[in-house]
Amino acid sequence: MKERGTTTKEGRMSKRVGVRLGLLLSASLAAVVGLVSSGSALGEATQSCGTVALNEQAWAGSTANTYVAKYVLEKKLGCKVKITNITEIPVFQAMADGKVDVVLEDWQHVDQYKQFVSKQKSVLIVGSNGVIGHIGWYIPKYLLKQYPQFATWKGLKGKEDVFKSPESGSQGMFLGGDPSYVQKDKELIKLLGLNFKHITVGAEPAQVARFSQLIKQKKPVIFYWYTPQYLNVELGLTEVKLPARSKGCKDDASSGGNIKQYKCAYGITIINKLVSKKFATSGSPAVKFIRNWKWTNADQNFVATQIAGKKLNPEKAAEAWVKANSAKVNAWLK
Amino acid sequence: MTSVTAETVVRTPVVAHRPWWRGKLVQVAGIVAVMYFAYRARALEYPWPDRLTWNSLPFRLDDFQTWLLDQRNAANPSFVFAVFDGFATFVGNLVGWFNQFLLWLSWVGTIAIGSGIVLRFGGWRAATWVGAAFASFALMGVWEESMQTLALMLAAVGLSLLVGIPLGIVAGLSNRVQQAITPILDAMQIVPAFAYLMPVVILFSVGPGAAVVSTMIYAIPPAVRITALGIRRVPTNTVEAAESLGSTRAQLLSKVQLPLSRRMILLSVNQTILFALSMVVIAGLIGGGGLGDVVTSGLYSNPSLAILGGVAIVVMAMALDRSTEAIANRTDPSRRHLTDALRKRLRLATLVYAAGVGLAVGLAKIFDAPAIYPDTATAQERLLRRIQSVLDYVQDPAHFVFKFTEPIGNFILVHGVQPLQELLIGTPWFVTVAGLSAMALVVSGIRPAVTTLAMLTSIGVMGMWEPAMDTFSQVLVATVLAVLIGVALGVWAAESTTVSRALRPVNDVLQTLPQLVYIIPFIYLMPVSIVPGIVAGVLYASPVVVRLVERGVRDVAPTSVEAAGAFGATRRQVLTKVKIPLAGDAIMLGVNQGIIMVLAVVVIGGLVGSGGLGYLVAQGLVRGEFGLGVVASLAILALGIALDRVTQATHRERQEGIE
Repeated sequence: MKERGTTTKEGRMSKRVGVRLGLLLSASLAAVVGLVSSGSALGEATQSCGTVALNEQAWAGSTANTYVAKYVLEKKLGCKVKITNITEIPVFQAMADGKVDVVLEDWQHVDQYKQFVSKQKSVLIVGSNGVIGHIGWYIPKYLLKQYPQFATWKGLKGKEDVFKSPESGSQGMFLGGDPSYVQKDKELIKLLGLNFKHITVGAEPAQVARFSQLIKQKKPVIFYWYTPQYLNVELGLTEVKLPARSKGCKDDASSGGNIKQYKCAYGITIINKLVSKKFATSGSPAVKFIRNWKWTNADQNFVATQIAGKKLNPEKAAEAWVKANSAKVNAWLK
Repeated sequence: MTSVTAETVVRTPVVAHRPWWRGKLVQVAGIVAVMYFAYRARALEYPWPDRLTWNSLPFRLDDFQTWLLDQRNAANPSFVFAVFDGFATFVGNLVGWFNQFLLWLSWVGTIAIGSGIVLRFGGWRAATWVGAAFASFALMGVWEESMQTLALMLAAVGLSLLVGIPLGIVAGLSNRVQQAITPILDAMQIVPAFAYLMPVVILFSVGPGAAVVSTMIYAIPPAVRITALGIRRVPTNTVEAAESLGSTRAQLLSKVQLPLSRRMILLSVNQTILFALSMVVIAGLIGGGGLGDVVTSGLYSNPSLAILGGVAIVVMAMALDRSTEAIANRTDPSRRHLTDALRKRLRLATLVYAAGVGLAVGLAKIFDAPAIYPDTATAQERLLRRIQSVLDYVQDPAHFVFKFTEPIGNFILVHGVQPLQELLIGTPWFVTVAGLSAMALVVSGIRPAVTTLAMLTSIGVMGMWEPAMDTFSQVLVATVLAVLIGVALGVWAAESTTVSRALRPVNDVLQTLPQLVYIIPFIYLMPVSIVPGIVAGVLYASPVVVRLVERGVRDVAPTSVEAAGAFGATRRQVLTKVKIPLAGDAIMLGVNQGIIMVLAVVVIGGLVGSGGLGYLVAQGLVRGEFGLGVVASLAILALGIALDRVTQATHRERQEGIE
């Protein structure tokens, strides 16, 4: 009994080994076949692009580059494009999950880069999108004509009451930026000894409402703003020069530390293109296009003005730009 | 002299056992006076001391998020994540199938089937609503987006009711359950969605699944609360009568309590729909898609598109609301008197209609419906241009309207909100904590006072004292206004059907139109901080107060009203001496909900310049400062609980009186 038992057990064992071997064999065979077939798939990749999920961020510039990319992907590469509208931070997890493939305009989210790019490697930075971002203090041009000294921050000193409003009392009113943007204006005001009251006006559309209403009335106004932005031309905005950048100078006041390190102008932000690891390794011709993508502040502003300023349908605005800039587009496709 | 003595003679017997200085109102006024004196007399500023602040709390929370992210994205994540992921995938597929089905039917089939179902079960009036709503989506050129949102909302509302109504029934039957879940419901409604979007994304990823989950968090509480209130309001004598006739508990519930609370349960369905639809934009931020995206991207680059998306959301809310109500009314057991012959005819009609729809869909497929679909792209553009021209007109500062609105806004800010803000921020923290706790003690009793004390202290410990006091001043103004408007209109609507009918669409619009859609144009008219945020709070909160007050006054037992009438009470006496006191419970629920609703839009306020806690919560999400966002949200919650405890007095007393 016992013997038989062991033999059957052994028999079963050997059978199992056999099954395992068979599995291994077939798996390796499948792998070889897979490799060959994927190799051939790579060769044919120009035909099959699949679906690319582009994430559009909330601002007009992002709408501009997303729709231009969509047009090129659909019309030149035969891809299907899905546009998602996931907000800035959650989009990193979405890319890690493979639900979003591309973000064309990311304004340097350092903490997320640490988590998703360096640590998990589920998101890849594939270079700058060509646009150079810059944050600063802006005033309308008519004001500069009236007070030429406002070209630099020193000229603001002692003249803060020009910007006085019921809200700021005897001080000058400074309109702060959208909560999602990097800022250090409260610190700057304090460090530069300016008599401004920093007012948080909320999200960008609310901020636009505030300053454009003052600009339409040709009243004085100073506020946190940035470039590239289509409104800069439309409303005639100009930047106030802040103290030059020094070594070790920082921009994001929410990171804390010694307040002195914020006493300088905002730096230049290289705006990154991000892709998900899944997309990067998919072998789709769209990957190369996204890697090659590069345009300028002027390009982006042009398309954004068509969309947000002239209220043109984004698809049509993108089509018009692509048709007028075939040299640039062809370079992306090489 | 004589008149004074006459008055004392009249008043003495009434007041004898309660000296004047013990009146609650007087006591509260006294506390306020002492607080104000302390504010004026203070020699120094007393901000919340740093020694008593837990400064590392936000960083701890950030660490927690990083840990969770690491776990989630590890090579072999724990099975717990698989469960969440499975749920999200299931819900996502549900939404996806539904959406594909609606799109497959094409606009012809969807309109026909939608209005057909409502016609069969709800009646022609509601069916017209549904047909018109669908047609408007097509004409506005947002058909696909609307179908996406519809699919998402049907899943979210269905699941919310599936969870909410049974929970509400249990909470209605058991005081212990009610007490246990009330704080959880408060938290679900008050903690801003911005604070939990990131954890939801970590657990459920992005897409329709995550969007449904975040919508459910906000839409379940009204289903539970109103259902529970309905069960509780079933007259005790009816329940006792059924019990004495030997009903089992199951019979009692199914034959007495549920049928008698039908109207309140219907109200809960209706509110769940409206609450869910008010989340469309926020759900869009994490991949909900549909109309939410139209609104969000419109806000930044094309305001008229945002308005169009907002209008579509409102139209959908109203159509869903009207059709569910009509269907529910048809199921009223007292109205069901179909004869067999009639039933047969109805079945035949349904069959014929279904065949007709099938034919229509088939034809639409053959002739490619999207192709014969009116050219909506140009229709939409024309519509957008029209909206834009209206916006340009309204937002023009050279226009005469601005000459009124700007000074009014400045006046409210400079003479109303700013002094209050300075007062609350400037008052030494210990005076505020002691004063508010004392008020809670006087008004509500010892336990609420202890809770208030604990909540206010925790706000300070979390390092949120100053922004919380800033927000408190705004919430105070908004709540007072919302309750005043809500109670006045609610009572009026209960007395007059015309007013009720006129108010209903207004309420629906205010509750479901995404606030930013109307608040951003409003900023052009009143370009001052804080005021637009307060307006958003008042406009969002008052409809709920109106609804609950109206329902409460209307549902006062007719026998009591008749009895009062028999004693010769005038209409006004009936209203003030009978109806309003008897509806006290519902009115207090309205006040309570008013506070919660105002707090629920604090973040919207933060996005339009109110600063305070709302801005910090928004910053927490959009800058990836998770810890900061959570701490600020907890401060909003603590503030909400404290305010609730300070104001709950009569509510508690009444409840005890009933039980």
